[in-house]
Amino acid sequence: MVNPWIRQNVAMKEAHAELLTLTATRDHRLQATWLHPRSGCQEQVTLEASQEYFPSLTPMLPEVAWDEREIHDVFGYIPNGHPDLRPLLRTPRWPDNFRPLRDRPSARPAWRDAEPDNPALTVEGEGVTIMKVGPTHAGVIESGHFVFSLMGENVLHMDAHLFQNHRGVESLLEGQTVDAVGAIVTRICAADTVSHQTNWALAVEALAGYDSGAGLTLGRIVLLESERVLSHLNDLAQIPAGVGFQVAHQQALAIKEAWQRSLQRLYGHRFLFDTVRPGWVVPVDPEDLLRLVHAIRRQWTPWRRLVEGHHGFNDRMAGVGVTTLAEVIRFGGQGVVSRSAGKVFDARTLLPLYQDLRPVPVVESDGDVRARFSVRVQELEESLRLIEQAAARLRAMPRDARWCPPDAVSGQVVVYTESPHGLNVHDVAVVRGRVLRYHIRAGTYRNWPLLAHAVPGNAVADFPLINKSFELCYSCTDR
Amino acid sequence: MSNIRHSLQIRHVDAGSCNGCEQELTALTSRAYDFQQVGLDWVASPRHADALLVTGPLSDAMARPVERVWAAIPAPKWRIAFGDCAAGCGVFQSAYATHGGFPKADLVIRGCPPEPGAALQQLRDAMRWTAIDPNRQVGD
Ligand code: SF4
Repeated sequence: MVNPWIRQNVAMKEAHAELLTLTATRDHRLQATWLHPRSGCQEQVTLEASQEYFPSLTPMLPEVAWDEREIHDVFGYIPNGHPDLRPLLRTPRWPDNFRPLRDRPSARPAWRDAEPDNPALTVEGEGVTIMKVGPTHAGVIESGHFVFSLMGENVLHMDAHLFQNHRGVESLLEGQTVDAVGAIVTRICAADTVSHQTNWALAVEALAGYDSGAGLTLGRIVLLESERVLSHLNDLAQIPAGVGFQVAHQQALAIKEAWQRSLQRLYGHRFLFDTVRPGWVVPVDPEDLLRLVHAIRRQWTPWRRLVEGHHGFNDRMAGVGVTTLAEVIRFGGQGVVSRSAGKVFDARTLLPLYQDLRPVPVVESDGDVRARFSVRVQELEESLRLIEQAAARLRAMPRDARWCPPDAVSGQVVVYTESPHGLNVHDVAVVRGRVLRYHIRAGTYRNWPLLAHAVPGNAVADFPLINKSFELCYSCTDR
Repeated sequence: MSNIRHSLQIRHVDAGSCNGCEQELTALTSRAYDFQQVGLDWVASPRHADALLVTGPLSDAMARPVERVWAAIPAPKWRIAFGDCAAGCGVFQSAYATHGGFPKADLVIRGCPPEPGAALQQLRDAMRWTAIDPNRQVGD
């Protein structure tokens, strides 16, 4: 007989539910939270693990392979039957038996005098060469370590070793007061900061039973969409750089700079740090916003014409780094990466936050670099439309009265938003105004394994291009 | 002898940043700031570098690679801590997997993230004092 933990979770997947989080607690509890994309309802499956062991879901649900490895690293619970239980966050420098989320480290551990690298999975055989890239890189990018197995120029296998940027954010959040959490959550990732801030605000408001008014909601939508414009501009600037199309790269950077200067002027920060709190959002003048969208369109439209009319550039992107819909579903892919391969899922369509603004998911089917580029181009325009609509409604809106969360808020809640990089989920437990457990599952976490599947079969020289078209956050993933 | 150097070549290493600092470092190369115009640049190899610029609170996994990059830079050389995390005053200082910042920096550029215009000015100032006093660096 199949174990009920496995059976129930597999049934969720078969019912086309999206996995929000799979995580553990200090008292040997495992909890999977699923989202039904039609109804927007959440459903939880829990398991009381027998001390140190629990049955692995990975053989049936490969999308949780990393989640289970992470649980093993930070709690020490062993997923029985996991096909690849190599360390994920853990490095050979961690002291034996150091399990940061089980032990509640008050001080830093005594790091062992060892190299931080974990063993890589490579292909062996005649003519196979191994190429290591990172963790330090030739350009200005985040740190990550990739081990390629190559045959000539062709990639046979790519082993991604991330978590070089692991700071220990979830552990740091434990024990923090409700007031102190915001400044940390804001800085999990600069590219998805508003999404992280909004998740935290939604969590506290849900736990306190506070019903945010329309003004607050619209103010947040404007920020979330401004963030998407900023992030997509950044990613759209990087893709042409990957093929040496410098004009498009520099012009997109110039539009991004103009957008950031406007954000600084309107909201006081070039990345929108510290703009959303429980019961609060940074105020903005809707007329300023409308003028801003108008101004950015004047730069954006000619740029779009430039890149879409450049046949060489479009040919260069077509057919490279393909991800199939079947792989996206199998690995629970999220965001632009999944929509470019034909998956119709955008959490904005489910969020009460977006009310009747009716965001339209942008979907393409080829799953290649070109499709990911194109989805971002279209989503950026959709975001500008949403900002305009929200700003128009804000005009007639009185400002909501300021609300402060009660000191002794308690409870557990799973909240999510659609960040520029996909479904971004926070699983938050608070006891009398202090964080008991804070789990962060960003969209990119599920997309990294997909990247590892999209690269083999391509020339290794195309890795930067494919990588930039996925544009996966390291900081959101590594935490 | 001129008391301003004509170039300052910098090797960047991310040691646990949130990517905000990196995005602003990239902005320095854009036409709005165009820092290559005044002789500043990112270099791909530490062998070509005059300075090591680190972002992030120095995650433990990056501590060794950072040391190695530093060792590979020929003297005279300088350390730059970019952003509040690297400066030792960010929000992740006490997170268990960090070392709380990039120690012994010769130049600390504050901000979360630093504003690129202000950062550019501090880097240009560094081109002056690194030329006047190559020994200003703080130990190895
Ligand atoms: S200083 Fe601020 S912007 Fe820079 S890495 Fe740290 S949190 Fe991010």
